[in-house]
Amino acid sequence: MRKVHITGVGFITSIGNDAATVSESLRELRHGVVQYPPFQKPDVPVKVAAPIRDFQTDSTDQEDWVFPARYRIRRELLRGMAPHGVYAFCAMQQAIEDAKLTEADVSNADTGLYAASAGSPFLLGYHLERMRKVGVMRCPPLGIVASISGTVNFNLVSHFKIRGASTGFSSACASSAHAMAFAYDEIALGRQKRMFVIGAEDGNVESILPFAGMRALSLQSDPSIASRPFDTARDGFVGTGGSTVLVLESEDEVARRGAKVYCELAGWGQASDGYNVAISHPDGDGLRIAIENALRQSDVSPDEVDYVNAHATSTPIGDISEAKALKAIFQDNPSRPAVSSTKALTGHGLSLAGAMEAGFCALAMKEGYIPGSAHIANLDPACAGLNIIRATLPQRPNVVISNSSGFGGANVCLVFKSG
Amino acid sequence: MAPSVNNHSGVALKPFTAEDDANMRESLKRCSAATYEAAAQFRKTGNTEHLPAIVLGIIERYVEPDLRAKLKDADDDLRIIEDLGIDSLTMMEIVILVEDVLQMTINNEELRHLRTVGDVKTFIESKVRGLPLPKPTKFIPIEQIVSVMPIQPPFLFLGEASVNAHGANAKYKISGQEFFLQGHFKDNPVLPASIMLEALGQLAVLFLLEGQVGEAGKTVDHRTIFFTSCEGVRCHRVCRPGDVLNLSIKPKRLKSPLATFEGQIRVGQEKAAFAEEITLTFAYAEEVAQPPTPQVAPAEQPVALNPASPKVKSAVNA
Repeated sequence: MRKVHITGVGFITSIGNDAATVSESLRELRHGVVQYPPFQKPDVPVKVAAPIRDFQTDSTDQEDWVFPARYRIRRELLRGMAPHGVYAFCAMQQAIEDAKLTEADVSNADTGLYAASAGSPFLLGYHLERMRKVGVMRCPPLGIVASISGTVNFNLVSHFKIRGASTGFSSACASSAHAMAFAYDEIALGRQKRMFVIGAEDGNVESILPFAGMRALSLQSDPSIASRPFDTARDGFVGTGGSTVLVLESEDEVARRGAKVYCELAGWGQASDGYNVAISHPDGDGLRIAIENALRQSDVSPDEVDYVNAHATSTPIGDISEAKALKAIFQDNPSRPAVSSTKALTGHGLSLAGAMEAGFCALAMKEGYIPGSAHIANLDPACAGLNIIRATLPQRPNVVISNSSGFGGANVCLVFKSG
Repeated sequence: MAPSVNNHSGVALKPFTAEDDANMRESLKRCSAATYEAAAQFRKTGNTEHLPAIVLGIIERYVEPDLRAKLKDADDDLRIIEDLGIDSLTMMEIVILVEDVLQMTINNEELRHLRTVGDVKTFIESKVRGLPLPKPTKFIPIEQIVSVMPIQPPFLFLGEASVNAHGANAKYKISGQEFFLQGHFKDNPVLPASIMLEALGQLAVLFLLEGQVGEAGKTVDHRTIFFTSCEGVRCHRVCRPGDVLNLSIKPKRLKSPLATFEGQIRVGQEKAAFAEEITLTFAYAEEVAQPPTPQVAPAEQPVALNPASPKVKSAVNA
């Protein structure tokens, strides 16, 4: 098996639109949650969300969209994009610059791209409504490309002239962790030398609000405490969107290019709950097995883990399941690893979450800190015994794991080691 | 709903409500103000004179800003894909907007062969007026010109050419290697005016052979085409080696056995030569292949010799 390194990152997130700002927010525990204007209506019980700044993508006509001047997107690309396609394009550009990749490095048979998003319910709804109203022959020809799940890989693979492996992943909130995991396999097995991994979500009314129907969203109106994983008063997650792009490269490529390395992606594991379509297993069984598999494959013992970037989304049931899984894994020394959920700052990015949090781990390992778990006033007693850190620690973690769980009880654990 | 009214363009008019107007304004919001004005006038009056402005305005909206200048003084031969960088998906966007604004339906098959701005304009106008759809512009590479023409190098003065229902265009670059330039003139090569006229005549021959002349299924026999006369020939510019001649001809009258064309030559934006009338004789292949018998004589032959009498006309109008 070949070693796999993270050599580039790009972020468009609720806590910053570049790596430096994101890292500062993580360190200083600055959250991105606001009272979201489209939710301020009597019939919408949810009031907060964590939107993307400096972008306006609320029109159904892409040519109305506004984004920072440093990004240039031609109309012929833009017309087939969802809002999160634009976020992904911008994050991709950052990641390519960050990894110092040439055009030839990006476009060759040994470089692939895996992406994860849930599509754009916003645009899909609009185009279906238009189809019913004016007939299918008067609908924009690229409406489907912009709307359906897969829109990110369609657009970026063709635009950046990717010639290696490409596909999309769809396991809800585990999607981009799966994308990371299988991208790791492509390189570890020697099939590809380099992989781009993209997580992205619109993070607008249509992608967030439906979760209110299943009572999964926080009804808290105060943005500074709405997302508080592991706190006794947590009442659901806060929705967000954006994109994160990571560049994974084989050790040979790292050596050939003399690339700077954030950390090693050392392995991964997965397991499913086999329990409920939307509720996590009460004992976190699936997640526990996923973590065990990941540690075994990465040749890491639980005692070596310095930091756990938890999936914890701030829902009453989910956070407890994860706490139980962690207690089972670290039973010999449960207070050894620092545990935090960065979703307290960002909100829950759904398909974006796994890649975004992998990017956070990469930043923390390169710069030498462990981001705290924000907004905890009263730690849930069910978490007692775990070292859930409420403030950022100024030390470099050498071994990090990042968890993700999605609908259907899919669980993925990624393991990172200092490069 | 108010009853439809017909106007002089033969376009059935539907009422144009304030809501229609608002929808159209929204649809055309990225087009020039002139495009909206033309569209509003068309929807109110049915006057097809507004169509070119509408169609050009809609095409312009989809052309990348750096290429829009090309549309400003475009002739009808400007190619949609090659010159304007519009791909087939963008063409679909153009069609959807045209359909929306002109309240018409265009199917994929009709779209496939539209290659030039002129094709699109002609197509839309025919469609709106309910006329039979013209055949779109045919582009003819030099190899094909050589294979169909009775005239051959070194006396062929056509490069790439295009032919549609309204005429033909071609380019010819004066290479300097033309044999007659050695003596025309001594140490001063200038393309003879007679050769300019010859080039226009050759383009007219190409039109007869490749254009839509006569009834369906009939083809002109290349052995039957000869020059008969020309009138009103004026030369405006001396043409020398390196110049690219833009030749164009338009048929004025086309009835076997005579075809009369207007022709002109430009070099860049400069007028080089103009011919009010160039007339050729020609015959259809069928007439040559088998001796004409009274039963199978081409229908238009007597008509050409004997234009319909006033009596017949009034009968038609009655």
